Amino acid sequence: MRAILIRRLATAIPTLLAVILLSFVLMRSAPGSPFDAERPLDPATRAAFAAAYGLDKPLPEQAARYLGGVLTGDFGPSLVYKDFTVGRLIAQGLPISLTLGGLALLLALVLGIGGAVVAGTHAGEPLDRIIMLKATLLTAVPTFVTGPALVLVFALWLQWLPVSGLDGAPSLVLPVIALALPVAGAIARLARAGLAVTLAQDHVLAARARGLSPRRILWRHALRPALVPVVSYLGPAAAGLLTGAVVIETVFGLPGLGRYFVQGALNRDYPLVLGVVILYAALILFFNLLADLAYGWLDPRVRG
Amino acid sequence: MRIAGWTIVTVALAALLLPLLLPWNYDQIDWNHVRAAPFTHGHLLGTDSVGRDLLARTLIGTRITLTVAGAAALVALLIGTAWGAIAGWFGGRVDEAMMRVVDALYALPFMFVVILLMVAFGRSIVLVFLGIGAVEWLTMARVVRGQVMALRHRPYVLAAEAAGAPPRAIIVRHILPNVAGIALAYLVLTVPQVVMVESFLSFLGLGVQEPLTSLGILVHDGAEDMDVAPLALLVPGGVLVGLILALTALGERLRDRLAR
Repeated sequence: MRAILIRRLATAIPTLLAVILLSFVLMRSAPGSPFDAERPLDPATRAAFAAAYGLDKPLPEQAARYLGGVLTGDFGPSLVYKDFTVGRLIAQGLPISLTLGGLALLLALVLGIGGAVVAGTHAGEPLDRIIMLKATLLTAVPTFVTGPALVLVFALWLQWLPVSGLDGAPSLVLPVIALALPVAGAIARLARAGLAVTLAQDHVLAARARGLSPRRILWRHALRPALVPVVSYLGPAAAGLLTGAVVIETVFGLPGLGRYFVQGALNRDYPLVLGVVILYAALILFFNLLADLAYGWLDPRVRG
Repeated sequence: MRIAGWTIVTVALAALLLPLLLPWNYDQIDWNHVRAAPFTHGHLLGTDSVGRDLLARTLIGTRITLTVAGAAALVALLIGTAWGAIAGWFGGRVDEAMMRVVDALYALPFMFVVILLMVAFGRSIVLVFLGIGAVEWLTMARVVRGQVMALRHRPYVLAAEAAGAPPRAIIVRHILPNVAGIALAYLVLTVPQVVMVESFLSFLGLGVQEPLTSLGILVHDGAEDMDVAPLALLVPGGVLVGLILALTALGERLRDRLAR
């Protein structure tokens, strides 16, 4: 277990550092400068600004300084949201995004595994095929289509739920569903494929021969090994949820991290975009690490 | 597989040819009939909020989405094949290092790296497909590497090596033709991925720019007007989903058939 952790950290940490440096250099090499205005500044003012933001130093020194800031949670000031530091915008948006993503992941796991179990117990029957067809369909429909479609039906036509904004639990229902559906589809497919394999294995046959009920066999003997591929999918799923949340927060007008990210990207607010990308990279690496550890816990063969 | 294939051919041909038959251009404004209802004033699907024909826009949007996806998939094919072939052929340390890079890149939030590129260098359509292609080659590299490693010790390859052929010639003459099939299957599988990424970026306003259009932009515009004109959302959304499903189905079939 510890060997896995050390091995994974040995790649994750350099990867994260590389991402930070690469993104930083990319941003600095972009044409234009934050001080380009319609009226050119006189050289003295320009130099004073550059000195104030530390832009007169050589690039490696700037990079080192930025990296040092990031490690202490200081991502610099936002260029567009005046009087806000990037760190503060992140601190405001992150809890909303994490709530949204966490609830969606939970819903996706319940729907996906539930669907796979129902399909697996009706293997070969029409119900099995219908569920799996639905799962395939769900993985193909992007969140920016499901989101507006759900709003159209449940908010505009039926008027059961609010269209957008963040106002209590009802306003989170549609965003969470829209975000969860593609992930649920993918989980259902993986779990169903896993069940197909484990249900054909000797230990399941032995359990059946001992006269255990089909339900007990499924829950006690077949499901756990069948979920191994699902667990290894959780890393990519986290990445998918973060990306999806960017769209969902835009569609539903939720003030989360993704919304700031899109606004920052559209306004060319470099420090904001840079900060959010770094945070996303860190989160995804963290979830991959968790998935790897869970994988080792579920499947003793990979502990080695 | 047949249904999927025909769907793709039909949609592609429609996007290519039908705009020629329409009396409206995708960016032409019908000043008298803004937000026209479907089947009125010669607009089969109606017009959008500035009076542009929705059918013409959907067709052109499909064309652009498919073009970007095809181009990006080709970029991914080039990088992925080269990377995978070199790693698989040389093996050992080279392979270890090159595949470590692929593993590390796999763990990254790619969508955000592409967005970062857009922010840094402006939003141009060339950058859209170059950027997407540059991040979608990883799976291709893994597949090609596996295939090359399997072919590496085949007798005819060893014979070519023994005859003194340089590695480059062996890779190009003997290895790549045998990798072509499986690479083609993964090329088809890359296209729907790219379609997703491209429409995602365009939906957010970070991809293809107005007055040009793509399915992502159309879904975005449709979502703004959906309370009065649901077709403006449902038609481009439907085309998008249909394309993704058909391309994925076709690619998976090809892959399963060639994997044996």
